[in-house]
Amino acid sequence: MNATLSLLCSLAIASSASADLLAIRVGRAETISQGTIEHAVLLVEDGKIVMVGEDLPIERGIPTVDRPDWVVTPGLVNCYSRLGLDSAAGNMFEPQVRAADELYPLQDVYRDVLETGTTTLGLYPPGTGIPGQALAVRPRGKTLDEMLIADSVYLKIMLESSAKSKKVLREAFEKVDEHDEKVAKALEKWEKAEEKRKKDSKKKKKGDDDDKSAEKGEDDGAKDDGPKEFEPPEPDAKVQPFIELREKRLRAMMRINKAGDYLHLLDVIENEKIDWFLRIPLRNDIDLFKIAERLGEAERLVVTDPSITLMPNTRRERNIPAELARAGVHVALIPRRDSVAGHKDWLQDVGELVARGMDRQAALAAVTLEPARAMGLEERLGSLDPGKDANLVFWNGDPFAPGTKIEAVMLEGAIVHGDVR
Amino acid sequence: MKSRDPQPDLRIGALATRVAAWGVMAGLFAGCASVEAVRSSALEPSSGASHASAAPYVASLQAGETGLGIRVRKLITMDGSDRIFDPGLIVVRNGKIDYVGEPIELPAEFPLHAFDRAWATPGMVDLHSHVQTGSWADINDMVYPINTDLRVRPSVRPSNREVRVACSAGVTTLFGIPGSGTSISGFGLLYKTKTDATYDEIVLRDPGGMKSAFNFNPQRSGGDLGRSWAGLSWLTEKANDRARAEVGLGLEDPLQKDFHRVHKGELPVLIHCASAEGVAGTVRMWKGRYDTECVVSHGSWDGHLAGPYAAKMGVPVNHGPRTHNFNSMVREEKVQGGAEAYMRAGVPLFSLNTDAPVMPQEELFLQGSMSARLGADPYEMLRAVTSNPARSILVGDRVGSLEVGKDADVVISTGDPLDPRSRVELVVIDGEIQYSRERDGQWF
Amino acid sequence: MKLLKMLPFLSTALVGLAWFGAPAHAYALQDDEAEAEDEEAEDEDESDAWYAIVGGDVYTGTGAVLRGATVLSKNGKIKEIGHDLFLPEGTEKLDARGMRVYPGLVALSASSRLTKGLFQAEPEPDFDPHLGVDNLHPDGRANAHLDTGNEEYDEVADIPTDADVLVEGQLLRQEIADSFDPFSQYLVLALSTGITTAEQSDTPVKLKRDEIKDVDMGPKNVYSLNFSLSNPNSRRQTREKLEKASDYLRRMKAWEAEGDKDKKEPSKKGVDMNYVRVLRGEVFAAFNANDREELLDIAHLAQRYRFRPVINGCMEGWTVASELGRAGAYAIVTPRTRSPKSEELVRPGGSSIENAAILHSHGVQVAVIPGNTSFELNGMTGRDLLHLPVEAGFAIRGGLDERAALDSITTIPARILGVDHRVGTLEAGKDMDAIITDGDLLHYQTFVQYTVVDGKLVYDKEEEIFFAHIRPRPELPALDPGEEPGEAEAVVDEEAPADEDAEEEAPPESEDDDEGEGADDQGAGEDDDGRL
Repeated sequence: MNATLSLLCSLAIASSASADLLAIRVGRAETISQGTIEHAVLLVEDGKIVMVGEDLPIERGIPTVDRPDWVVTPGLVNCYSRLGLDSAAGNMFEPQVRAADELYPLQDVYRDVLETGTTTLGLYPPGTGIPGQALAVRPRGKTLDEMLIADSVYLKIMLESSAKSKKVLREAFEKVDEHDEKVAKALEKWEKAEEKRKKDSKKKKKGDDDDKSAEKGEDDGAKDDGPKEFEPPEPDAKVQPFIELREKRLRAMMRINKAGDYLHLLDVIENEKIDWFLRIPLRNDIDLFKIAERLGEAERLVVTDPSITLMPNTRRERNIPAELARAGVHVALIPRRDSVAGHKDWLQDVGELVARGMDRQAALAAVTLEPARAMGLEERLGSLDPGKDANLVFWNGDPFAPGTKIEAVMLEGAIVHGDVR
Repeated sequence: MKSRDPQPDLRIGALATRVAAWGVMAGLFAGCASVEAVRSSALEPSSGASHASAAPYVASLQAGETGLGIRVRKLITMDGSDRIFDPGLIVVRNGKIDYVGEPIELPAEFPLHAFDRAWATPGMVDLHSHVQTGSWADINDMVYPINTDLRVRPSVRPSNREVRVACSAGVTTLFGIPGSGTSISGFGLLYKTKTDATYDEIVLRDPGGMKSAFNFNPQRSGGDLGRSWAGLSWLTEKANDRARAEVGLGLEDPLQKDFHRVHKGELPVLIHCASAEGVAGTVRMWKGRYDTECVVSHGSWDGHLAGPYAAKMGVPVNHGPRTHNFNSMVREEKVQGGAEAYMRAGVPLFSLNTDAPVMPQEELFLQGSMSARLGADPYEMLRAVTSNPARSILVGDRVGSLEVGKDADVVISTGDPLDPRSRVELVVIDGEIQYSRERDGQWF
Repeated sequence: MKLLKMLPFLSTALVGLAWFGAPAHAYALQDDEAEAEDEEAEDEDESDAWYAIVGGDVYTGTGAVLRGATVLSKNGKIKEIGHDLFLPEGTEKLDARGMRVYPGLVALSASSRLTKGLFQAEPEPDFDPHLGVDNLHPDGRANAHLDTGNEEYDEVADIPTDADVLVEGQLLRQEIADSFDPFSQYLVLALSTGITTAEQSDTPVKLKRDEIKDVDMGPKNVYSLNFSLSNPNSRRQTREKLEKASDYLRRMKAWEAEGDKDKKEPSKKGVDMNYVRVLRGEVFAAFNANDREELLDIAHLAQRYRFRPVINGCMEGWTVASELGRAGAYAIVTPRTRSPKSEELVRPGGSSIENAAILHSHGVQVAVIPGNTSFELNGMTGRDLLHLPVEAGFAIRGGLDERAALDSITTIPARILGVDHRVGTLEAGKDMDAIITDGDLLHYQTFVQYTVVDGKLVYDKEEEIFFAHIRPRPELPALDPGEEPGEAEAVVDEEAPADEDAEEEAPPESEDDDEGEGADDQGAGEDDDGRL
């Protein structure tokens, strides 16, 4: 009720504020953050959502889209894609590489994928090992700058159960320690030098009239340019990303293959205070359910595929995404195939998981808010909340139901596909 | 020859040789323990002959006759009534069993071998064996896919090392067959594993039966014609249809004589096949279409899924060397013992093989042990390496059980013959000691 | 039965041949005792994890069998074995009434997929721990000294120093620990067989489930020497290195005896520290040898340089058993090995089913492994590590007594791996690694019902897909009100009325009684009432 009141107030303000204002009245809105709202009204202004509520009165004069048979959801977010990127790489340790450097805007795939309702893509660099950093883009724009939402949204790290793989990651953090030591030493040196300089300059002032110290003072005085800024030593380019991880300016996407890898991952990073989430491909026979409880207790975020798998060596189906969600894991689901066609089938595949027991709200969040969270963009994307980007997908029915079509797609307030009139 | 039940033959044999045996039998049937008692591991000693008037006796050895007696703690006959004597005595006369029952007085001229802590069981029978040549060599002739007049006889090496070790482990009868490289692989030999003998002395029946291969192995290459399952089946059916027509018309072809006997039901055919569709296809072709005395061999992986069909059609299954399945062809969701599944399906005569040298020939018993481990009944598994294979291949009147009139093929072991820990002390074939641990040292 | 009265106080050293206790063992025992004392002193803590296997017939592996007894552990270590034990509050209990309790089995030479798993989404990484350390040593040096192809043998460059030996060992352990898959289905299969410790590349690994901590049980305890007849060059090298190591130790001893600290320590130049460790008794020297002549040579080498060989294969060992016994050898044998002797040879030779028994009777410590040391789910039944006790059964067939057969898959391999102070028998102070079976472990129908590792239940037959359907576990008999399992029964002794079980344990006129091993089950092989 409170929410509605405040919405009404803001509505009045909004109405007089901008000509860019658009009101949208639909049969249902999947807000993600506040569940499903029937007879929903959204107000969009300057590319942002300003208001969401049930049956809100719309002031006269505000352009209104009135589609009582439509369902609106936030734009879909795929945080793990190589769409439009075509380089290939092997096993490497190149954490400084940025996928942004290989982006070709103006490709058909971006236009096409936008039409599938995907308004945000997380594009990652190629290769295994630690191959570099991903960026988040809107699939629209002529240049990188126009497409870019955020660069360096995560560092891709692949870890498997082997001494070699674990050593690579362990050593990467050890290098940060080494760098920190170097910085500390340099700082110490600088502090000493600064102290000395201060002393010397004091002495100099004192001893201005003192002939005995004049000679010495001259030398120092010649060099004294006043207080020097401390300039920490430049870190190695390959160390820099790990410094940023520690400083939480960068997040890590840990790609693992099986349940056992998770324990080995924790073995390496359990004492690291960094932001990280998991990417675990769901292939047949995967034993991921073995760690569902542990992942849930730790409230981990897991990026995985909308697939039904089999229990190892049995015909017993397992709905691992559903199990993870039930255990309290933040589940993000990506298309099963990283192509435009894959994006078209995306919600159908997720719908299959819902039909087989996955919580519907969790499934909706898994294609919107959770992948946004993975990229650290949850304040901006992924749900229908005031202040967020007006990325909206208009469906002619339940997005998970077979046969449901996309009527229109809004990207940051602009209709980029379909027609809403 | 059509019947796989040897009992009538036994009675006639016994009558012809020893009239005294009738008295013996009368006493023994009253005193035998049931198979239930065996399974419960609480074996009551046989309560003895209740008819004092018909006291059993053994006639003296006549001039020119040979014989011996073996006294044991436990005697498992594997006969039609599952008699077990505890203790027991076997008397052998001229290579045949003359008496089986509880110990009775033995004329002095019989050498008596007393193993008062040991068990006596029938010699074991393996229907799927390739050790007749002593090695892997000379078992596949790969030019033609259909070899209806090929025989293993020329390549047999009697008493070769494989065979001798097999004997020392209680395996006394083998069906030595061609390999499964071709669809009709030829005719095998039924022979005894005598440790020092000539060809003539080992033959049980020549040819013992035909070997066919339905799927998998022959598919790798059947020669110039027919590399696929479908193509090979077509060739096989063509040959079978022709033989059947010739038999129907009463035509004789010296080169097809044995093949004709298969179609007359006089000789059995053992068919290599595996997987459910392989077993089902085999039964459909060889029983359903041609009504031969066929035996499904291998039946591995998920072959047991076709067990109920084999049971319905009355086809014996000779399982092995793989006796369990986990996820070949199908995901079983468990370690499924093949024997347990076939027995549950009610296959009429279930037996086990080693496919030696795939599994060492001497480890035939272990196929029984492992099948019992994986859920089958141990006593039934002992049957699956003795009387059942013998009856399946139509030699139940000669070997596979300890009954009066049958070949004196006896194995004495220190305990449960399926237990790897039990040692074989003595092996007698056709009444002659072939292996004695005391005399020869332990071979296995 | 007399052994029963001595109960679990027999140390492992007493069980086997005490005069040959592995050196590593002696040190470890001291640590262990010290630890045990510390524990006594401590107050009992609420966070302690107590676990008890209650009411089973406990086959300790030391010769003692306790009927209806309880094995109690604290924080993964066995605290006490006996009757009427006080179980602290919160003790987790496993009801083993009607079942038998044995020490966890120890599998030598297990294939790497046991701990690495196979059900992984990605193809196997290029490193296989079972292949040894080739890929691990920073410059490939670790194995260079085994390279036998070189005509000219550069003795300086390739000689491992103390540090090299250390690095090599650590890298290997690290690789094994870091690739351990605690969810591997093969791990479950190993536990279903009763295997709780397995060798991976000469290194002992504890088969923990669902966790990866502390699976590595210690450094490798054997060092492989090449003394093959087919490779004269490597034979020469091995002999040379032994000579140098022996000489170094002599010089070292003299230097120490002199006590002149100013005098320089003897030079290690050209001395392979691996060999020094072998001669110091810190590790066993391992050989792969089957041929009679090779075995004799190894026996002589061992006696000359006074080290203890571990001989893998040892096929013709039965023909030279007394020599091997005198050399203090360990033999790792596969009873079912089939290799007939060459027809050209007059002397005895080839494989023999009696190999294990003959070696054992001459004082050789015999461990048994199957011919296939992996877990085959689609292969032939009864030939792989899933059937380790079956292989031991074949050793019994060849004349080995049941006690020695149990030792051959528990205590002896534990000694070879240098972990007999922790595993191999059920004794106070050792790891709580136990298996609970539905019958005689060495009988072919017996299944492991439960496996406990470090005081945690890690395998329950009924809960896993593999064997749950086979002879489901019967329900335990109901207890009288107030009765606790494990309290009622007393130690079986000679005076006790001979119930059925007791009779089975000690047949009155057992043929093997003269071997003094009567306390253990004679099994079907020796038992008139053997099942079928």
